[in-house]
Amino acid sequence: MSRAVILGRPVSGQFASDPSPWRKALVFAALPVALFAAVAVQLTVVNRLPLPGGTGPDLVLLLVTAVAVTTGPMTGLLTGFAGGLALDIAPPATHYAGEYALVFCVAGYLAARAAAASGASTGERNPWVELGVMAAATAAGEAGKAGLGLLLSDPDVTGPAIKHVLPGSILWDLLLTPFAFFLVSWVAGLARPVSERAPRPEFVGAQRLAAVFRAASAGAAPNLKLAGSGAKFTDERQARRVPKLRLADARSKSFARTDAAGSGIARPALSGRKAAKLNFAHSASALRSAGAGVTSLGRTPKLKFSGKSSAITPPRRQKGPGKGWIRAAGGRVPAAGSGTGGRASVPVAGRRKPSAGWLRTDAHRPTTVKRATPGKGWLRTSRRPRANWYSSGPSTRWVRRSRSKDRWRTRRRSLSGAVLSGVRDLLPSGDRR
Amino acid sequence: MLIALLIVAVALITIDFRDGGTSGAHSIGGRIFGPVEHVGGDVTGWFRGGGSSSEVSALQQQNTALQLELAQSKVTGQQTAELNSLLKLTGKDRYRVVAASVIAAGGDYSDTVTISVGSADGITANETVLNGEGLVGTVVATSPTTATVQLATDASATVGIRMAGDGQIGALTGTANDFSGTAPLKLTLFSANATLKPGQELVTFGSVGGRPYVPGIPIGRITKVTTTPGSLTPTALVKPFADFTGLGVLGVVVSK
Repeated sequence: MSRAVILGRPVSGQFASDPSPWRKALVFAALPVALFAAVAVQLTVVNRLPLPGGTGPDLVLLLVTAVAVTTGPMTGLLTGFAGGLALDIAPPATHYAGEYALVFCVAGYLAARAAAASGASTGERNPWVELGVMAAATAAGEAGKAGLGLLLSDPDVTGPAIKHVLPGSILWDLLLTPFAFFLVSWVAGLARPVSERAPRPEFVGAQRLAAVFRAASAGAAPNLKLAGSGAKFTDERQARRVPKLRLADARSKSFARTDAAGSGIARPALSGRKAAKLNFAHSASALRSAGAGVTSLGRTPKLKFSGKSSAITPPRRQKGPGKGWIRAAGGRVPAAGSGTGGRASVPVAGRRKPSAGWLRTDAHRPTTVKRATPGKGWLRTSRRPRANWYSSGPSTRWVRRSRSKDRWRTRRRSLSGAVLSGVRDLLPSGDRR
Repeated sequence: MLIALLIVAVALITIDFRDGGTSGAHSIGGRIFGPVEHVGGDVTGWFRGGGSSSEVSALQQQNTALQLELAQSKVTGQQTAELNSLLKLTGKDRYRVVAASVIAAGGDYSDTVTISVGSADGITANETVLNGEGLVGTVVATSPTTATVQLATDASATVGIRMAGDGQIGALTGTANDFSGTAPLKLTLFSANATLKPGQELVTFGSVGGRPYVPGIPIGRITKVTTTPGSLTPTALVKPFADFTGLGVLGVVVSK
């Protein structure tokens, strides 16, 4: 009741749209008065009401969280501490002084930080987000009161008591949350200048968020358009068009790879008005790395790949593209396993050419399996296949390289020492030193 | 700033924890908020009393005083002599009742109320509080103008009792239920041989010097016997005579 009087005071004057200094001062002075009134009303009225559920709302907690989400962390912190301390030391309280001060100041601070973070990331104050934050903070504050009482082994705060009280009090608080929020945010809005009262997007935060989204989706969601983010995802239908590609080394394999990879990833890069000229020296994985780079940059660069730019995933079988037609399926097995996550179109392309593949029916099988069937060995090239993910084990050279150099050196030394000692053993004993 | 306030809060808790919940912070709070609660209590009392609150409260005070006299006189005959020898109880005119009205109530977890009299009126801690119906609680803290009463329904309240008929003694504890409902109290008798029946009445057993409870105050009636087979002591649920939901005017038993 006294709160209503306080809240009514600022609007009763003949104020212009821009708040005068003493109007601001009035609103700021209303905060401690409102806090004091909330404590008094809580103790003398709310706690004495025989409300259903056996519990009642906590007006002070509601006021603290509402003030916190509508103002800022420092105000929330101070309001929470003051309100909690008032509840701690006002007469009927028998719990330890400082308990509610601790819980409320943490709740107010965190609520204000969460609301400020959401406001900074989206660039505008969303009242629904603030309301949600406030509700969560209020519930957390109620739980914190119970938890701290339990922690301090307060004889009143027992397990059955919490089970009896906590759900009801949270429910009451949530019921009153919207009213408290809109009341407090209206009063807080009176002290805010008009330009600030209108939601103004902050482009810095929005751009940062857009960049994060773009990097996270890696072009998987090109439809995503963030307001004010300055993204180049201008026209989505343009990107759908099959780009004109001029591939320098236009083998069927690399074409298939380009299509598969470009359909998902590299499309945003090609969404400019001009058809990008693509020059692939060797591999399709170069395109993949370029796609990732382009999406993170957010604009259309000139694409120029000369083989060495395959930074992300080095192509495994780029040395013999000449066999691409014949070994349409066989050459794909390691590549499909290593990079693109096994596109469905790739084995189909291999099966479409049985005329080339009939000689090598086992070509699509891993090398390890191939080694298990030596009967077809005469058809295979004399070169041993390179070790891949499917081969049984790494070569000795690979092992040697993987270990540290010193370790290999000591091993070599010990080996040579063993050989030498063996030779020494063979020598007549008289020659031993 | 956050860290500083957290440290202050933890320091307050520590000091209060060491002092057992009776540090100076509470008395400061009583000084600050006592007048505010007086005003609030007057306002709510006006709403509850419907205007003629002074007359009603005077009548209720008289009722309370008569109730106490009755309770004292009920301690009759042999029991009186027994108690006198036991408690050095000299007579019923040793006590006087200070009337007070409830002006504020505690939070969700504690069943406590603030009453409108304090140390300025001669109230000290550990004094029995009752109303016209029966025992209400005991004073746990005072400020100059207010006193905090721990109700018998509070989870940390324990009252020594005597069965009205057979004089068996036991202990009565609160069940942590809010005083918004008819919170039952838990009775535990000390004697394993005693039997409990629903409908039996309980009075306070009394303590040395009448603190925190003077003897003979009616408390309540057994509603349900919850003794389990094999348990050492008989237990029961007790419905208090006093209506804890609508506490208005209370009396504090002050030793003369």
